[in-house]
Amino acid sequence: MQTLDLTEDEKDVLQELMNVAYGNATAVVAEMLDAFASLSIPNIKVIQTNELLATFSELKSESYFFSTQAFNGEFKGESAFFINQTSADNLAKHLELDSSEDLDDAILELTNVLTSTLTTKLSQEMNTEVSFSLPSLSKIPLQEIEKSPTFEHYSQVIVIDTDLNFQDQQIHGKIFILTKDESIQWLKTKLNSILELLV
Amino acid sequence: MAKNKTQQYIRTLGIDKKIVANIDNGIIVLDQDLKIYHFNKWLELHTGIKEYEILDKKIDDIFNGINSKTLKRKIKTALRIQTPTFYTASTSKYLIPIQINQFHNSSFEYMQQDVSIIPFDEEKGLVALILTDQTIMANTNALLESNIQTINKLNSELLKERDTIDKKVLVIKFDKTFRIIDISQALLRLLNYEKEELLDKNFLFHEKYHMTEKTQMELVQAMSELKVLEFQESTLSAHGQRICFKSTLIPEYSAEGIHIGFLIFRENITDSKRLEKSQEKILASSRSAAMGEMVSMIAHQWRQPLSLINTIMATLKIKKELEKLDEKDINEAFSKIQTTTAYLSDTIDDFRDYFKPNKESFEVNILSLFDNSIFFLKETMHQNNIEYKINATQNISIDTYKNELLQSIINIIRNSIDAFIFSDVEILNKQINVNIQKQESHISITITDNAGGIQEDVLQRVFEPYFSTKSKNGTGLGLHMCHTIITGHLKGNILMTSKDDVTTTLIELPFTILKGIK
Repeated sequence: MQTLDLTEDEKDVLQELMNVAYGNATAVVAEMLDAFASLSIPNIKVIQTNELLATFSELKSESYFFSTQAFNGEFKGESAFFINQTSADNLAKHLELDSSEDLDDAILELTNVLTSTLTTKLSQEMNTEVSFSLPSLSKIPLQEIEKSPTFEHYSQVIVIDTDLNFQDQQIHGKIFILTKDESIQWLKTKLNSILELLV
Repeated sequence: MAKNKTQQYIRTLGIDKKIVANIDNGIIVLDQDLKIYHFNKWLELHTGIKEYEILDKKIDDIFNGINSKTLKRKIKTALRIQTPTFYTASTSKYLIPIQINQFHNSSFEYMQQDVSIIPFDEEKGLVALILTDQTIMANTNALLESNIQTINKLNSELLKERDTIDKKVLVIKFDKTFRIIDISQALLRLLNYEKEELLDKNFLFHEKYHMTEKTQMELVQAMSELKVLEFQESTLSAHGQRICFKSTLIPEYSAEGIHIGFLIFRENITDSKRLEKSQEKILASSRSAAMGEMVSMIAHQWRQPLSLINTIMATLKIKKELEKLDEKDINEAFSKIQTTTAYLSDTIDDFRDYFKPNKESFEVNILSLFDNSIFFLKETMHQNNIEYKINATQNISIDTYKNELLQSIINIIRNSIDAFIFSDVEILNKQINVNIQKQESHISITITDNAGGIQEDVLQRVFEPYFSTKSKNGTGLGLHMCHTIITGHLKGNILMTSKDDVTTTLIELPFTILKGIK
């Protein structure tokens, strides 16, 4: 299999772009939830799908909500958002939600905001556009994720993972932006053209 | 410049407007205060509300159940991030209540909607809400969800049942090569083995020392022909205890119908085997007891004829000494002795016939059966001044095992006679009465005596084996055998009651042995 590892330079550029995107995402989420939010510096790497599943399985210990949202365009892929039960309960309290459907909706909203802001900013920087599918909550228990066909379509994935923290509210989430081989190739080309402009 | 011309032509058609007007989605344009700017035809048709009626009005005033706080937040966010925000049918059900008029959509009252909130005019803060009908999808999901629930429920029931089977049913499972692949916990517990000790062992090899050659042959035959086989086997537990099984061999097939191995279901019959053995012992002792009884009754019958012979001999002897013996006397004496010895011989034949168990049932006349029984006992009754009376409403015959019934009746009457003989007090007017009556579905025979009655605690135990009040004289098997014969072989009932000085034995018998008492 062709390996599509990012070079140090490519990683640096992507990191820069992501930082901008994250700054934007943090501001929007904070506004949406009317609370001070912080995002950890995104961790970017290209990994094999099985490594990713191993990462997911580390999250199994606790009860999690797991939602996904696909995005399309020249840069396409899927985001996967994890938020644990305690954080979800705190989110519900903070937003004064009184039904589990409302909480599901709020989690989907959070997924959408994070996915949209991150990928939109990134694609803007790279002169392209993305469109978003509706996010959906996965009913699959975390233990069964390995069997989920979603991941069968990916051989390698670029993982941009960050923790979302609302300090006062004790809300933590983890989002992964997953893209396929084809998009990784596209991304490398784009990153290199940006690099050329910088030189 | 054909391309430009085409573009100009297309513009004149107003494609965007026409298509948007006819698109199969609901479109509402709102500002951040939820004021309505546009309400498309699709929505007009589905809600029955015209656009001009609601322009400039707030959407949450028009439709019930809209959470304005959430909607405002979503609009604000969409405008802020300049990408759509959403409501999904799976979590939010619907935004605009639209009643469903289709028959098959029975799960929902209102159309299930996905709603995309698209930033439309940043300056004026306008968004477009695009509604998509997701009812069919939601229905499918609901159906799936309920099926999953059913499957989960069935699955948990199945697991529970499997657990119960594992704990309660004695079953061993092996593959086509007779390699043991599973054994229920119940069987392991009975045999005192750990599962690991038996898994992967060859079943036939493991069991062969405990099976008869015939059973082994039958088992191998049934296995090669994939037949169900019922057989008895015994095996040794890990502690060396012999355990008897009634077993059933069943070939096992996969869901696709391919033969994969065998199951043997076992029933532990060790206890009933033991019981069978002790029953056999009781039967054997009761047979010898009956034999003893018979000998004593023969002796009784013989006493009188023997003394007759003795008297004849003595008379002959005296006449000879007095020299008065003539030819006539001798002939008379010989003839009498001949008749008497013939009677003695007949008595033995009678007894032998009556005490031989019948293999087949046949028509038995109850009155003559009593006559036969009394024949053996009347001498004793006469000696003890016991009056015997029999009363029958009609002459009744039933289909039954004659000798078994005869034995039982002799036993019961014998018991009454003994009660008179061994009574501590003198009884005047000693009586044994028999009453025979035809009922709707059976006949009833009551035998009563006035020999003093039976105490309650004794009465409760009279049918138990080896229970006797006659200390030296009784085997304690007589009434037990009566009970076994009447309830078991003759398919009837027997009940003994006692009131004041009178003991009553009630026997109920079916008209035919095949049908029993209804």
